[in-house]
Amino acid sequence: MNLRNITADKLVALYRNGDLTATEVIQGVFEEIEQTDKDVRAFITLMRDRALEDARRVDAKVAAGEALEPLAGVPVAIKDNMAVRDVLTTCGSRILENYIPPYTATAVERLRSAGAIVVGKTNMDEFAMGSSTENSGFFVTRNPNDLTRVPGGSSGGSAASVAGGMALLALGSDTGGSVRTPASFCGVVGIKPTYGRVSRYGLVAFASSLDQIGSFSKTVHESAQVLEVICGFDHYDSTSADTAVDEFVKGLDLPVKQIRIGVPKEYFVEGMDAEVKAKIQSAIRLYESLGCKIEEISLPHTEYAVATYYLIATAEASSNLARYDGVRYGLRQAGNGGLQEMYRQTRMAGFGQEVKRRILLGTYALSAGYYDAYYLKALKVRTLILQDFQKAFERVDVILTPTAPTVAFKIGEKTEDPLAMYLSDIFTITCNLAGLPGISVPCGRNSESLPVGLQLIANHFQEGLLLRVAHQFEKAGGFLL
Amino acid sequence: MKISEADVEYVAKLANLEVAPGEKKELAEQLSRIVEFVDQLNKLDVSAIEPTAQVVTSVKHAVRDDRVSPRTGSSDAGKTGKLFKVPKVITER
Repeated sequence: MNLRNITADKLVALYRNGDLTATEVIQGVFEEIEQTDKDVRAFITLMRDRALEDARRVDAKVAAGEALEPLAGVPVAIKDNMAVRDVLTTCGSRILENYIPPYTATAVERLRSAGAIVVGKTNMDEFAMGSSTENSGFFVTRNPNDLTRVPGGSSGGSAASVAGGMALLALGSDTGGSVRTPASFCGVVGIKPTYGRVSRYGLVAFASSLDQIGSFSKTVHESAQVLEVICGFDHYDSTSADTAVDEFVKGLDLPVKQIRIGVPKEYFVEGMDAEVKAKIQSAIRLYESLGCKIEEISLPHTEYAVATYYLIATAEASSNLARYDGVRYGLRQAGNGGLQEMYRQTRMAGFGQEVKRRILLGTYALSAGYYDAYYLKALKVRTLILQDFQKAFERVDVILTPTAPTVAFKIGEKTEDPLAMYLSDIFTITCNLAGLPGISVPCGRNSESLPVGLQLIANHFQEGLLLRVAHQFEKAGGFLL
Repeated sequence: MKISEADVEYVAKLANLEVAPGEKKELAEQLSRIVEFVDQLNKLDVSAIEPTAQVVTSVKHAVRDDRVSPRTGSSDAGKTGKLFKVPKVITER
C-alpha cells in the first residue's frame, strides 16, 4: 500500500469507521517498502514485528469501541539519531553500528503515546553532518522524485520515506537545515520548531546550541498535528522551553489577511537558480492575492552566516563527539598500545571523512591561540545575525525566502568539494543561529519536474502563525505553483 | 590562514584522532580552504559586540530534583549486573 495519496487524519478516520484495519495498512506499508526502498534506500532498520504488534492493538481498540488516539495506527519513520529502546540507533555512523539504546527519545515516546506506529529508522548523513545523505556510513539514499539525485540532508532518509509513500510522517533533526533542505528537495513539508520547543532527550547531540527535532509530512495540517504532540516542556532536557503549546490545528484556518511578510533582499543573490527564483516570485504574488502585505526587508549579516555556522557547529561537535572513544559506546578497536591508542584507533576506524574533517576544524577553532580569532568571533557575529532578525520582526510577522538556492542536485556532484556542500545550506542556517522556527513547503516544480521549496520563518515560539501562513498557501494551491 | 600538515597532525592529536599519512595533505588543503572562507568574519568589527553562546528563549535553566523516578523506557543499563565491564585503562609506561 503506497501512502502517497492519503493523509494521517483521513487514515485515522478510515480506522475509526472500520473501513480499514491497521494490520492491513501496516502490512501494506512493509510491502511498499520492500518494493520502493530497493532503489530509494531510506531505511537503515525496519521494525516490522513491533509495528504489526502495535497495529493489532489499534485494531483491538476499534473492535472494542474504544476511542482512538489522534495518530492511532499512523505509520511514522524516525531518523536514526533518535533513540528507540531495544532498536539499533546508528546515527548513520560505523562507530555506533552496534549501539542499541536502553531508552526511547521523548519525541518518539510522545508520538507513540499519540498512537503512531514506528515502522523504521531512517538513513542520514553521519552524525547529521551533511546536506545530501551521501555522508552516511552505510549507503546513499536517493531522491524518490529522481533516483539520480540526492534527497537532501541530513535527514534525507526521513524526507524520502514520506515522499516515497513509505511512511505518512517522519521525524528528523535540524541543526543547519537538515529538515528543511530535504523537505525542499523531496517535495514535502518540513518544519524546524523554535530552539527548545521539542525535547532533545534521546537525540544524539551534534551541535547543542543549534540542534532541534522537526517533522516531515505531505500536508501542513499533518505537521500541525505532529507538533501538537511532540512540542512542550520535558524535564529530561535542560534546554527544553517551558512555553505553552498552542492548538496548532485549530489555528490553521484563521485569516492571513493583513499579515506582513518580509522578503529579505540578501536572499535573492546571484547564483540562485532562475527557475527557483521564478517560483518564489509566484509564491509572493499568491500571498499578495491572499491579502498579505509584502515588504522588502534587509538582513545585512546574512553573508556571514555560513562562516559563523561552520565555526560554531564544528566547535560544538568536536566537544560532543569526544564521547565516542571505544569505552562506552559501540565500536572498539583495541590496538596494542594503551588507552590513548584505543581512543585513536577506535575513532579512526569509526568516523567517516566528513566527521573527521569537522572534528578537526572544530578542535582547531577552539584550540589555544585560535579561540578568540575563530570561535569567540563567530559567537559575536551570531549576535549580529540574531539582531538582524529582531529588527526585521519589528516590521513584519513572517519572513519568506527560498529554502535552497537550487533543486536537488545530482548524486556525487558536491562530494569532492566540502565548501560547495556547505554553501547549499546558505538560506537555512540563519534560523538555527537565531533559534527561530522555520518551515519548508512545496512551491511547484521546475521544468525537469523537480520540487522547489519555499521557506517561511517566524519569531520565537510563533509556530502557530507559521503553520497558518503555510497552510493557507497550500489551500490556495501554492504547492502546485 | 594556511593550515599545514603539521597543524593537521597537532589538531588530530588534540582531538584523539589518527590521520593516515596519505590523508594529511588533502585534509590540510581542504581545511585551509574552509579557514580562508571563514576568515571573511574579519571584515566585521565585533569588538563591542557581546557573544551569543545560546539563544536562550524561555528556558528556565531547569535543574530537576535529584530523585529517582520511574519512566517508561528509562535506562535499564545498570540492572543486568552490579558492574560494567570496561577495557583496561591503566597501562605501563
